Amino acid sequence: MMRGLTRRLAQAELKRLQQEGTGWWGGVWRPLHHCSALVYREHSASVAAVRLEHLPLPALSKHSVRVKMLAAPINPADLNMVQGTYPILCPLPAVGGNEGLGEVVEVGSDVMAMRPGDWVVPMDAGFGTWRTEVVCEETDLISVPKDISVLGAATIAVNPCTAYRMLHDFQALTPGSTVIQNGANSAVGQAVIQIAASLDLRTINLIRDRPNCGELVKELKALGADYVITEEEVTSSGLHHVFQEVPKPKLGLNCVGGVSGSLVLSHLDYGGTLVTYGGMAKRPLQIPAKSLIFKNITLQGFWMTQWKRNHRQDKACLKSMLDSVYELARSGQLRPPNCIQTPFPLYTQALQATAQRHQRKHVLIM
Amino acid sequence: MEILRFAHIILRDFVVHKVVVRKIATGAWTLSVNPGRSACLNGSLQLDRNISRSTFSVEPSVKESTALIYRCHGEPSQVVTLETLKLPPLRSTSVLVKMLAAPINPSDINMIQGTYAILPDLPAVGGNEGVGQVIEVGIEVKTIKVGDWVIPRDAGLGMWQTAVVLSADDLVTVPSDIPVLSAATLGVNPCTALRMLSDFEDLKPGDTVIQNAANSAVGQAVIQIAAAKGVQTVNVVRDRPNLQKLTDGLKAMGATCVITEETLRRPEMKEIFKSYPRPKLALNGVGGKSATELLRHLQSGGTMVTYGGMAKQPVTVPVSALIFKNVKIRGFWVTQWKRDHKHDDEALHSMLEELCTLIRTGKLSSPACTQVGMLDFHKALHSAMKPYTSMKQVLVM
Repeated sequence: MMRGLTRRLAQAELKRLQQEGTGWWGGVWRPLHHCSALVYREHSASVAAVRLEHLPLPALSKHSVRVKMLAAPINPADLNMVQGTYPILCPLPAVGGNEGLGEVVEVGSDVMAMRPGDWVVPMDAGFGTWRTEVVCEETDLISVPKDISVLGAATIAVNPCTAYRMLHDFQALTPGSTVIQNGANSAVGQAVIQIAASLDLRTINLIRDRPNCGELVKELKALGADYVITEEEVTSSGLHHVFQEVPKPKLGLNCVGGVSGSLVLSHLDYGGTLVTYGGMAKRPLQIPAKSLIFKNITLQGFWMTQWKRNHRQDKACLKSMLDSVYELARSGQLRPPNCIQTPFPLYTQALQATAQRHQRKHVLIM
Repeated sequence: MEILRFAHIILRDFVVHKVVVRKIATGAWTLSVNPGRSACLNGSLQLDRNISRSTFSVEPSVKESTALIYRCHGEPSQVVTLETLKLPPLRSTSVLVKMLAAPINPSDINMIQGTYAILPDLPAVGGNEGVGQVIEVGIEVKTIKVGDWVIPRDAGLGMWQTAVVLSADDLVTVPSDIPVLSAATLGVNPCTALRMLSDFEDLKPGDTVIQNAANSAVGQAVIQIAAAKGVQTVNVVRDRPNLQKLTDGLKAMGATCVITEETLRRPEMKEIFKSYPRPKLALNGVGGKSATELLRHLQSGGTMVTYGGMAKQPVTVPVSALIFKNVKIRGFWVTQWKRDHKHDDEALHSMLEELCTLIRTGKLSSPACTQVGMLDFHKALHSAMKPYTSMKQVLVM
């Protein structure tokens, strides 16, 4: 009952926030749109720097589009941007959030690629998705199909796409090959499990030990994980029993760094590649020279934002990737990560929770 | 009559050779197969009067080898001994080689210590590279002739000995018109340098390469080969008392600039990089913090290649360098390259030819060497393992 009450209160609050005003513009009284947005005016380690503000929206121009945001997740990179530790930072004051799903409400007179009602996601990082509405250039967005869930579409363009690219771009993996990863419970990790399963690849998934480990192991195996093992167990017992059943992995995926990254690297086959896409432990990788010289291991990184920027002109490539992940989402082979959906006005508790350990992903619902 | 018989054996293999045989003061025979080149055969040469025309699988004329052997892994000073070995019979596909010179490289020490990635069966003769002269070939050997200079194609063949019988497939010929010290030190370090400069980044004249261990044999080869290609090198060395002498020496080889590890970490580096483009390629023979510093100066999208780990510390790589700077971290092992190209003679020959051309034109010299006789091997091993050593120890036979 309390939950229902909270939801109704939140919805009422949201409606109040979406009220339209009017203003004098261009010689005529026109409706001036406003939105509510999570704004930070300074970089800060504390999420308290992010505050809800009422922002006016610019008027629509020929090539711009007005979009109503439907949902936007809180990803680690979003927090890094607020903290000022990310390599790309928005000019301040900035709206937080790099990923999310919106619905087109109004289009400028020269906009061809999208119509009101279309679902869209941002092309680049730094968009500012934690808001109820936005006016932006048509080219800032890409339209996506509407036939998957809001949650799925809101969380598809960064993490599952990262998983997709890492499974395709670094090693030629044939059915039956093995991939090993840490951070297996992350959004990317879960996408890797599911996309790998769809490609008939075996996955060895390392997770941190925790109180309800057994439950997590079951969840990940239900997604298609072949092996789910704690880092502690791999460190003490190795993976000999696993390698009696599956080939040694040629691809390792690392989002942790530090000791965990070294652990993944140590189990790669000769000539394998370790792809790093995150550094949750905030520790550098310590790579034994022998791994490089005698085991011929390659280390590379992957950054989805850079990939999208490099392929900005190659719409076909981007579209082909989105089509593939969408198809997996449609067929149920790729489910959105286990999320906690938080109504937009309750953003504070979502942001604070994200800073804790072992948290599920929070998605703001507008 | 002995002389004539021997000359007969040589002439069987070759169309025309000028053969001059002299007995020198020590009692050994000197056989000059071509003008200017001589193979010194020791006093135990046996000329078998009963050699028949149809068989060339004979007892080698040199029956013994003086070798540096180890029977267990451990510190070289404790486990390496000088012994006389009986050479196996020459097979139709084998070659008898009289060793001329063989260096002591770090990997040789690691093999003896038992820490190397590949270890020969024990007891083993030390030394993974060196140059020898062929004094006898098996009847089926077509690619190698008596008098040729040869170097090994693989590691672990035991080059620290006066003579060795090896399969012709284990050897590759090198020109004998280059200095013997260059030939002895050709197959490992200059090859490593050339491959690293060729196989990882597309370097154009004017591009920059940054490397640590710049004073090592690989480092010096990198400087010279890069200079020959118009590629600039930023060379990092450890500080030491005679730094100026070292700097002058490396600059004389073509180093663009020489800086200490300490300077690399200072803000002044920004000024230095205003003079040349940021490096696309970093070569790491050290590991640890030195490698991390190289990474810091590497251009976005560049590659760091690790070929050694003299500091015995792991390579520390910040995650941001991989994700946001898109650097690639790779390794290189010349022994693996040779094994991968075992059936691609052309690749190996072409690399050796390129290096020999540089040697002949004076663009690539061997590192400064201290030549040591086999009997003084203890001294050589000891010197080779001293820190900050500037001289490559080369055993001469």
